[in-house]
Amino acid sequence: MPNPIIMPKFGQMTEESSIVEWKKKEGDKVAKGDVLFTVETDKSVMEAESFFEGTLLKILVQPGVNVPVSSTVGWVGTAGEALPAVEAPKPAAPKPSAVAQPAAPAPVVATPTVTTNVPAPRPVAVAAPVCAPKLFRISPRAAAFAKHAVVDPMPIRGTGPEGRIVEKDVKDYLAAKGYDKLRISPAAKNLAAKENVCLLSVQPSEAGRISVADVERALAERPKPMSKMRQVIGQRLTQSIVTQPHFFVTVSVDMTDLIALRAKLKEQGAPYTVTDFISQAVVLTLQEFPEVNSTTDGKSIRWNSRVHLGVAVSLEQGLVVPVIRGADELTLAEINAASKALAEKARAGKLAPNEMSGSTFTISNMGMLNVENFTAIINTGEAAILAVSSTLPQPVVRDGKVVVRQIMKMTLSSDHRIVDGAMAAKFINAIKAKLEDSELWKRLTS
Amino acid sequence: MAKTAHLSDMRPQFEPFVIDCGKIPAFQYKGNLKKELAAKTITKLEAVNLLEDMLVIREFEEMIVKLRSGAYEPLPGYNYRGPTHVSIGQEGCAAGACCQLTLDDKITSTHRGHGESLAKGTVAIRAMSVEQLKARVPWSKSSQREDLIEDALEEHLYKTIGELFGKDDGYCKGRGGSMHIADFTVGHLGANAIVGGGTPIATGAAMGLRYLRKDAVVACFAGDGAFNNGVAMEAMNWASQQQFTNHYAERKHGLPLIFVVINNHYGMTHRTDDEVTGIERVARRAAGFSDGNMHAEVVNGMDALATREAMRRAIELCKKGQGPVFLDVDCYRYFGHSLSDPRMEYRTKEEEASWKAVDPIENLKAQILAAKVLDKDGLAALEKRCRDRNGRAAKRASEAADPPATDVLKYMYTDTKCEVVPAEYSKVTTHAALPEIKRVNGELSYKDALKEAFVEEMMRDKRVIFYGEDVADYGGAFKVTKGLLEAFGRDRVFNTPISEACICGTAIGLAMIGLRPVIELMYFDFALMSSDQISNQAAKWHYMSGAQTEVPAVYRVSAGAGKGYGGQHSQMLESMFCHIPGLYVIVPSTPADAKGLLKSAIRDNNPIMFVESQGLYGNKGPVPEGDYLVPIGVANVVREGSDITFVAWGPAVHDCIKAADKLKADKGVSAEVIDLRSLVPLDMETVLRSVQKTGRCVVASHTIHIGSYTAEIASTIQDEAFDYLDAPVKRVGAKNGIAPQSHILEAAFLPSVNDIINAANSIL
Repeated sequence: MPNPIIMPKFGQMTEESSIVEWKKKEGDKVAKGDVLFTVETDKSVMEAESFFEGTLLKILVQPGVNVPVSSTVGWVGTAGEALPAVEAPKPAAPKPSAVAQPAAPAPVVATPTVTTNVPAPRPVAVAAPVCAPKLFRISPRAAAFAKHAVVDPMPIRGTGPEGRIVEKDVKDYLAAKGYDKLRISPAAKNLAAKENVCLLSVQPSEAGRISVADVERALAERPKPMSKMRQVIGQRLTQSIVTQPHFFVTVSVDMTDLIALRAKLKEQGAPYTVTDFISQAVVLTLQEFPEVNSTTDGKSIRWNSRVHLGVAVSLEQGLVVPVIRGADELTLAEINAASKALAEKARAGKLAPNEMSGSTFTISNMGMLNVENFTAIINTGEAAILAVSSTLPQPVVRDGKVVVRQIMKMTLSSDHRIVDGAMAAKFINAIKAKLEDSELWKRLTS
Repeated sequence: MAKTAHLSDMRPQFEPFVIDCGKIPAFQYKGNLKKELAAKTITKLEAVNLLEDMLVIREFEEMIVKLRSGAYEPLPGYNYRGPTHVSIGQEGCAAGACCQLTLDDKITSTHRGHGESLAKGTVAIRAMSVEQLKARVPWSKSSQREDLIEDALEEHLYKTIGELFGKDDGYCKGRGGSMHIADFTVGHLGANAIVGGGTPIATGAAMGLRYLRKDAVVACFAGDGAFNNGVAMEAMNWASQQQFTNHYAERKHGLPLIFVVINNHYGMTHRTDDEVTGIERVARRAAGFSDGNMHAEVVNGMDALATREAMRRAIELCKKGQGPVFLDVDCYRYFGHSLSDPRMEYRTKEEEASWKAVDPIENLKAQILAAKVLDKDGLAALEKRCRDRNGRAAKRASEAADPPATDVLKYMYTDTKCEVVPAEYSKVTTHAALPEIKRVNGELSYKDALKEAFVEEMMRDKRVIFYGEDVADYGGAFKVTKGLLEAFGRDRVFNTPISEACICGTAIGLAMIGLRPVIELMYFDFALMSSDQISNQAAKWHYMSGAQTEVPAVYRVSAGAGKGYGGQHSQMLESMFCHIPGLYVIVPSTPADAKGLLKSAIRDNNPIMFVESQGLYGNKGPVPEGDYLVPIGVANVVREGSDITFVAWGPAVHDCIKAADKLKADKGVSAEVIDLRSLVPLDMETVLRSVQKTGRCVVASHTIHIGSYTAEIASTIQDEAFDYLDAPVKRVGAKNGIAPQSHILEAAFLPSVNDIINAANSIL
């Protein structure tokens, strides 16, 4: 009797999955534990292992077809064996149908393995018994033995009842890893035990000898948990870069005149920042290019009638983006006041959640960090972001002569789904034009 | 020398006749103080002492009543927590009966036993020598006998009140309290909170006095309610057995036992006569148990002199070997069952008033005044002395030290045993040759090993006596004791009525008197018939008495299924008795252990449940000749191994050995087998040492699964050796059911060698 291969249910909420690639062809020999195919889930790509030995008799579901979890996707059995008359499961669109083989009890998939080198999170209990991941089972005696040896028993293969790791497994594992040949100083062992460092993970500086220094190094290298803030930054930027197709347009802005004006204004007691001018220029330009002040979910585009300007602020522990609300209705002085207040709050860690969300366009200014040029990742949901670099003296040609001017590079990262190259070019040049227009600033600051 | 063997030669006899139950006299006492003084049957001092004893009781009981409302003057506001079973109204019975007892006489008493306890003490104290008194009150500064008596009486009250207050200085060191008070130094073998529970103990004590030829009696105080209880009727029958006085007896002497029925007419709140029995007078019960009606009579307990006179005659009969005697002493309880009982739900105020009108104290006071034994001032002085003495004792008791909380389990067991037999008991005479016990290649059967232990211990110590159902001529249902009767005579080996409660209860009385009884229960199942005597009495008296007494009794029980005897003759009940603190439980599995452990059990001073496996009686094994002991509480590593530990007892040990053999042969698994031998005390150390080595354990027995002691052991292993376990601890036992008759069902019911192998394989 051939055994059905079942589409595993890797996540509690997973209803359908598709095979990325079959790792075996029909007619291939299959051993227990062999990877049969890989599956794409909403989180990552997982490997499905065989629980049976035999021959892959039939592939019912080809890669790329979404089928309900627990469907039979193929058969493993003895070569030449007749297959039960079961049809391939129907693709799952739009709503997954009933499970194709509810009676098939045989689990096909063992422990899910993640293809990245990041340790997989411990699998949580899964509803469908067909592919319930193995519990980590270890006998108290084996656990005590491993603890005494200061090794992590997680990778050990258990041979006891229900796959439980028993003392013998730990001993075999340690022997295989050459643990017994290691010379571990008692102080090193104590430290490792105290700090919960697996001695097998410690790289000895001298062959076969583990010292306190080695354990301390392992301790220093040990991954530390990310702050919540970094995790959020990571999630949001990853989402943006993966879902929003970025392209980049760079211009050089001659800031010489504006800088002179700013210095003069500062003397007169009006301390505008360069960012204030850039913000103002951007706000004005966004009103000319409503597409850039838009949002898309990939299916529709929504224009934002107001400009809420995000201005990225670098903090010691990460990055925050306070938002100047309704910037399109603010004067330069008001923009200056608002951004000053927000930046102070940001540095004090006192920004309220609503002061950090809802922006429609973002500026990231690294001008004070001495960079020639850089690109930024779009703040998720927005159409573009403006990366502003340092203003540096550069030789430029003016009226046929090489002169030194204060040049600042700006790079616009755009979501290609909304903004095309030509529009990006026009948009960024419009900003540039405003920044170089002394008359405009005299008017706005008078 | 009396004949030991008796062959019945009874012929049919159907001639018509009438059973004549004879007559039971009631209220025949016609005396009074004046007449008794004139007849010199009482002295003036004795009369005053009798009155004082009653006053002592009443003052004490009134103290309890007052304490309940914080109104006892010497202890304002003192919070007494404990029972309030006061006996006011019954003083004539307690004092009237006890005034006839000597220091050597014994009593047992009841949950309403302050009266007997106080009176037995006061009477004994007044009869003590100066030396005895000084030993009792070493703190006394006087050397005058009268003063020493006064101090000893105060001390008596102090220790009694101290016990009620739960103090370390109480008679039972705060372990017994009001309902279990005892003073073994004056022959008070304990009040009993189980109604009727003391009757077999008193009977056993009387057997002990009879066996040891002591010129003393036992007064068994029990209420009218007790004589509706099976155990009390078993005791009445037991005490009246013809074999004590007829041609069976080595010494024709009836039990020196007086049942003193404190007949206050109420069992808690119900009427004993008139409501829950078919007889008007409890004395009538006696007619059912001996052809001489146990010399029963009804006595006026409201007249201490009448009780005193009846008791005098009862003692006389006992000492002549004509006991037992049954006195139905009619009296009245003025208060309710306890102070929380308002009484008016079940009786009238008029009834109470009519009894108070014949108050035993007022009655004797009037006679003492009339006979000019004391004048009014003398009487008042006597009353004041009693009152003041009680007050001083109560004050001291209230200020006495509490027992340290860390000593909560102290006195559960005794660690003493009979190392040396006193000379007076080491000379044993035999009536015939000792039973022949044949060794073949140095081997004996389990059964014969037990018999050899018996023979050796009965030869060693005259105090070892043995009885049970059909154990004498017949040698027991399993022939373990065949030949003992012939060798040791019927004084030491005898048949009993089918009265399991009394078999077990009399052993306690015998042990308290100083004998070392061994009894047999034909089937372990029958232990449930006697479980009060085993569990509430034998197991608890060492602790409840504050270690005043030891109960060196061995309860041999034969047990186990496998013979198609069904649900009431097949049970292994040892787990139940392991749950009873104060009791040892031993289960030998080999002939050598059977002999060595029985000998140890007989010499140990704790009560012991000695469980013999019927299935093993025929098993043969090497048994050393002569005297050797197997220590109690030491497990035996029957076989050493390294991969898994089998822990078992009784027949399961043999199953485990077979399973170990098969695992070795089939899989090369090395199993260690531990025979626990004793369940209480339990040698966990040997078990834990083995499990630490092997990391795996199966605990096996023939008990049913639920509540099996195997669970206790498994639980202790996981608790104390968790980090050494490579697998969960498995338990094997009989199915969680009732032993069936059908061979097929019984085989399915009992655990098998395969069950043990399967359990082992599931964790290997």
